Amino acid sequence: MYKAIGIICILAGCFGWGNGKIKQERDRIRHLRTMCRILERIRAEIGYGKHTFPEICLMLTEINSECYQKCFRRICEESAKSGSALPLLWKAEFEAFLKKQPIQADEREVFAGLPDRLGFQEETGQAGSIGQAEAFLSQRTRQAEENCENRTKMIRSVSILAGLLLTIWLL
Amino acid sequence: MQMCEEEILRLFPERIRGRWQDVARQAEKLQEIRLRAGSPLTILVDGRERFVDAQGKIVDRQEAAARQEGAELEEILKHLCQYSIYAFADEIRQGFLTVQGGHRVGLAGQVLLNGEDRIVNMKYIRYLNIRIAHQVKGAADPLIPLLYERGRVMSTLLISPPGGGKTTMLRDLIRQISNGTAYGRGINVSVVDERSEIAGSFLGVAQNDVGIRTDVLDGCPKVEGMMRLIRTMSPQALAVDELGGIEDLRALRMANGCGCKLLATIHGGSLEEVLYKNYMRYAMEERLFERYVVLDRGAGAWGIAGVFDREGKPCIRR
Repeated sequence: MYKAIGIICILAGCFGWGNGKIKQERDRIRHLRTMCRILERIRAEIGYGKHTFPEICLMLTEINSECYQKCFRRICEESAKSGSALPLLWKAEFEAFLKKQPIQADEREVFAGLPDRLGFQEETGQAGSIGQAEAFLSQRTRQAEENCENRTKMIRSVSILAGLLLTIWLL
Repeated sequence: MQMCEEEILRLFPERIRGRWQDVARQAEKLQEIRLRAGSPLTILVDGRERFVDAQGKIVDRQEAAARQEGAELEEILKHLCQYSIYAFADEIRQGFLTVQGGHRVGLAGQVLLNGEDRIVNMKYIRYLNIRIAHQVKGAADPLIPLLYERGRVMSTLLISPPGGGKTTMLRDLIRQISNGTAYGRGINVSVVDERSEIAGSFLGVAQNDVGIRTDVLDGCPKVEGMMRLIRTMSPQALAVDELGGIEDLRALRMANGCGCKLLATIHGGSLEEVLYKNYMRYAMEERLFERYVVLDRGAGAWGIAGVFDREGKPCIRR
């Protein structure tokens, strides 16, 4: 009886671990898509509207993603309160926020380090520079989406297999 | 006076704000902050040139003053541009930018020309002149009785040398004429704020009080702006800052022909000096303006040195 319960627990645990990994992968894609959308909006606002960086941040407080919305709100509030440089606030806020998210370090660096790309004297160059970051994250999104199906299958198989092996080994 | 220390401090990056604390305390009297790479930090307070030392103390001797570093100057410029230099490219090309609060920053450095000798950009910006905008509510009080005739406002030209308070006076005139005074009811005033100095608009919203019946066209060239406002906003009075040539006069003539009252400013030390300019002579001959107000910082009562009628005869002379 205990053995049966043990087997079920081990299998459930491994299956849960596998599902967690799959969820992380899907979350990563979701974050990458949102970051691409944000960069696309920034590029468009710079290229067509010549909006300043603080104005764009204010617009992004309305973005359709609750967690990013909160980040932009915090950035704008802090900037209005203390008059601190917005790029510094962006860096600090997104470094901290993205560290907790299932994305890779270089993806985080590109997004949180976006203000390093500012400083161009005309909008086409500036939009182009933002576009490079967007292209990098878009490529990562495509790769992640393409691999997602296979990885999902693989993780699920590995988790079940690991559960079975663990069960056999413990028995 | 509505200037506050905080607004002055916010002109500088957070890292160096400490040095400007003492200067910011002088906000109400502060007129200019001049930053030149390699030269002493200079400020103009109440018409008097003073310096800032390394600890941020205001001193009178230039030897004691701290010198401005080039790299720090660039940092200040970036901060003033909200780290979005691309958004200020046109202004930089023209040699100035207007920051939140309506403060105007004059720029000098090396200009880049195209094949037709037109300025396409500016690089190595090493000289900044931050002119602090002051909204002085009531500045136009002594003028108001002289600018109304049978309950209607008269077209007025404000004349003063740079830094003489033209824009401050114009801003208060607009506010009072728009809101209405004891001499006449409020009317619709349209403002072409080419350099965002009058209304000090930020995100399209006037930061200065320019009256309840005022429409502001921000960042638009004067001539185009005047035509546009006449067609679209049907103003009863039209206000522009710093007339500068025959094109401006043509637009004013058109506005006048549409029945708009004109409120404008021009650089000059006296009415005679202004009339040396051909186009202003034509303006007087055509009686485009009904009142000429000469401002001078040393003249007391908000700097009004003289008020002249449409023919140039003095109504008041101090």
